[in-house]
Amino acid sequence: MTKRLTYLDNAATTPVRPEVLEAMLPYLGKEAFGNPSSAHRFGRAARAGVEEAKRAIAEAIGAEPNQVVFTSGGTEADNLAIIGAALAARDRDGPFRVAVSATEHKAGLAAAHAVKHLGGEEVILPVSASGLVDSGALDAVLEEGVALVSVMWVNNEVGTVQPVAELASRCCDAPPGVLFHSDAVQAFGKLPVSLRDVNCTLLSISGHKIGAPKGVGALIVRDRKAVEAIIHGGGQQFGIRPGTENVPGIVGLGAAARLAAQEQQALAPRLRELREELERRLLAIVPDAVINGWQSERAPHISNVSIPGTDSEALLMHLDLAGIACSSGSACSTGTVEPSHVLTAMGVPRELGVAALRFSFGKDSTSDDVDAVAAALPRIVEKVRSLATVLHR
Amino acid sequence: MRVLVAMSGGVDSSVAAALLVEQGHDVIGATMKLFCYGDSVPDRPCCSLDSITDAKLVAHKLGIPHYVLNLEDRFGHDVIDNFVAEYARGRTPIPCVRCNSFTKFRDFLYHADALDCDAIATGHYAIAREGALLRGLDRQKDQSYFLWGIDRAVVKRMLTPVGELTKEQTRAVARRWGLVTAEKKESVEICFVPDDDYVSVLEQHLPADAPALSPGAFVTTSGDVVGAHAGFARYTVGQRKGLPGGFDEPMYVVAIRPATREVVVGRGAELFGHAVSLEEVNWLVEPLGSGDPVWVQCRYRARAVPGTIAAQGPSGGRIELRLAEPVRAIAPGQSGVLYDADERLLGGGVIV
Repeated sequence: MTKRLTYLDNAATTPVRPEVLEAMLPYLGKEAFGNPSSAHRFGRAARAGVEEAKRAIAEAIGAEPNQVVFTSGGTEADNLAIIGAALAARDRDGPFRVAVSATEHKAGLAAAHAVKHLGGEEVILPVSASGLVDSGALDAVLEEGVALVSVMWVNNEVGTVQPVAELASRCCDAPPGVLFHSDAVQAFGKLPVSLRDVNCTLLSISGHKIGAPKGVGALIVRDRKAVEAIIHGGGQQFGIRPGTENVPGIVGLGAAARLAAQEQQALAPRLRELREELERRLLAIVPDAVINGWQSERAPHISNVSIPGTDSEALLMHLDLAGIACSSGSACSTGTVEPSHVLTAMGVPRELGVAALRFSFGKDSTSDDVDAVAAALPRIVEKVRSLATVLHR
Repeated sequence: MRVLVAMSGGVDSSVAAALLVEQGHDVIGATMKLFCYGDSVPDRPCCSLDSITDAKLVAHKLGIPHYVLNLEDRFGHDVIDNFVAEYARGRTPIPCVRCNSFTKFRDFLYHADALDCDAIATGHYAIAREGALLRGLDRQKDQSYFLWGIDRAVVKRMLTPVGELTKEQTRAVARRWGLVTAEKKESVEICFVPDDDYVSVLEQHLPADAPALSPGAFVTTSGDVVGAHAGFARYTVGQRKGLPGGFDEPMYVVAIRPATREVVVGRGAELFGHAVSLEEVNWLVEPLGSGDPVWVQCRYRARAVPGTIAAQGPSGGRIELRLAEPVRAIAPGQSGVLYDADERLLGGGVIV
């Protein structure tokens, strides 16, 4: 009996799209394998692929092609933005200081912490129960002086949408002009993300969330003086991110970005409808379930729900055996159940934090996926709840 | 049958899983996370990231799911706390016995039930057959000594696929499957004690002025003070190492007196006992009574000796055994394990 497989972990990663794979193949094979920096025809073929990808991304995101800096993914893009901006500020005698929201991805938080390790300062901006950055805290840090503020466009665990246009403006207006960076890894392709509307100097995107391969992403850098390199080498990418470019990955990212921007407007409502249907049926099965982040606007594809009286690791195990893939907020790779820092920052109590599941939809998701979850969940919740009772007496 | 296999990342439990797959069972692999030293202690035999990765690789090769079960809190309470408390009162505990009794064959079973498993399996060298537990076929590896505390009702739900194999046969199965653990070195340490340094573990859990870690006197059985030690927790009955010298024959620890912090030393001849008292007694068969014969094993890999049940405590939790042959270095805290003449595990208790 082959079990139906239900993939609802699109915020973790997505499969490579067939169009993307097709676009990449020439650059993996004999046709265009060259080093883009080489003077000969092999190099030129590869260079063309990279430049086309830059143009596709620039157009998709509302930037200029030479503002696109390719990285190994979202994590590296966040690191380059935050550490790179802090170092640049230090070198022109500006504040060696960065501020990040308490719910940033670990990449952003760890990068801010690295600034501290390098002798600078990190400020963590608290969030409200709804996950939105505390306005007063932002004003305070802008007044004290800071090189860069980083707030993610969409939170990867809960889906909270931050008012980035407003946040960016406030930073821009604060004398002498504070850099604003946004991690748009979860936002791009799900919400309209355009730098024509937002005064964002730095923006991170990641390939494997939008149907491109893992190991490639980009940092949009609208002011090259804003960041210093954190990886050092030859002169590629204006010296901001040296190293031979991951040509096949970049070509894939370009193709995926073009498709994501084209499809976003039609995709978003479809995902939102699936998400709402899932939450409706979940609450019917588990009336005391809590939708984390319900208080504010959320991206259409993410649903983070706490199921009281359970622990997420046990739920994930049972769901996997039933063919359903999703995730939880817990960290450690060796299976320790601790609530995510995002839920903790939002004030979610620990017993709900360890019982949280994240379902995330993607372009291949259908209502059959929602049906599968609804069919499997009642028994699973019952099993895990009685297990929890027995183990925690 | 659906079976949950406890996979430590070692070759024995890897092969247990492989054999069950060959037998056509619906197998699920799980590694128990019992303690966390993060990645600060590399290459730990059990429960480290490396072990979990090995278990995952084996599971993937076998085509079975693999999960990590967090039992840290329970293990800490049932095994580690007990380990510390026993040393603190001058006894020599066997944490593996507690782990089997409380973690592996009780808490793990709760998870198995929640996953609708009919049975659980481990890589133990023991034989679970028709509701009975017997010594493993490989007498050098027999681990039945550690299983006396399992709840009797659990035994009929246990599968022990490597119990009738020798260690070499187990490795041969692993090689045949191409499992990464085929040549893996055995773990001989206590899993939660890094570098075999159990005193460090005690120091982490006990107050600085704990009697077990405080200086005291070495005394002979006749009461003469013959030296000083740095804490009676560093000694166990039968130990020869670390004792004061200057005697005409080898001396051994014959007793520990926690109330006075004395470590009593004596000659080899003084180490032999003819009786054993057990508490926390657990039976895997209908409980025997006074006058019934049994075979008694007081240490891992020691020979069992014939004996009789001399007396029983009122609630059955305590028994006194008379031994037909003298047994050397009977240490409080170790296990007194009972067998019948056909090598069937009858039960056991903690030596008082």
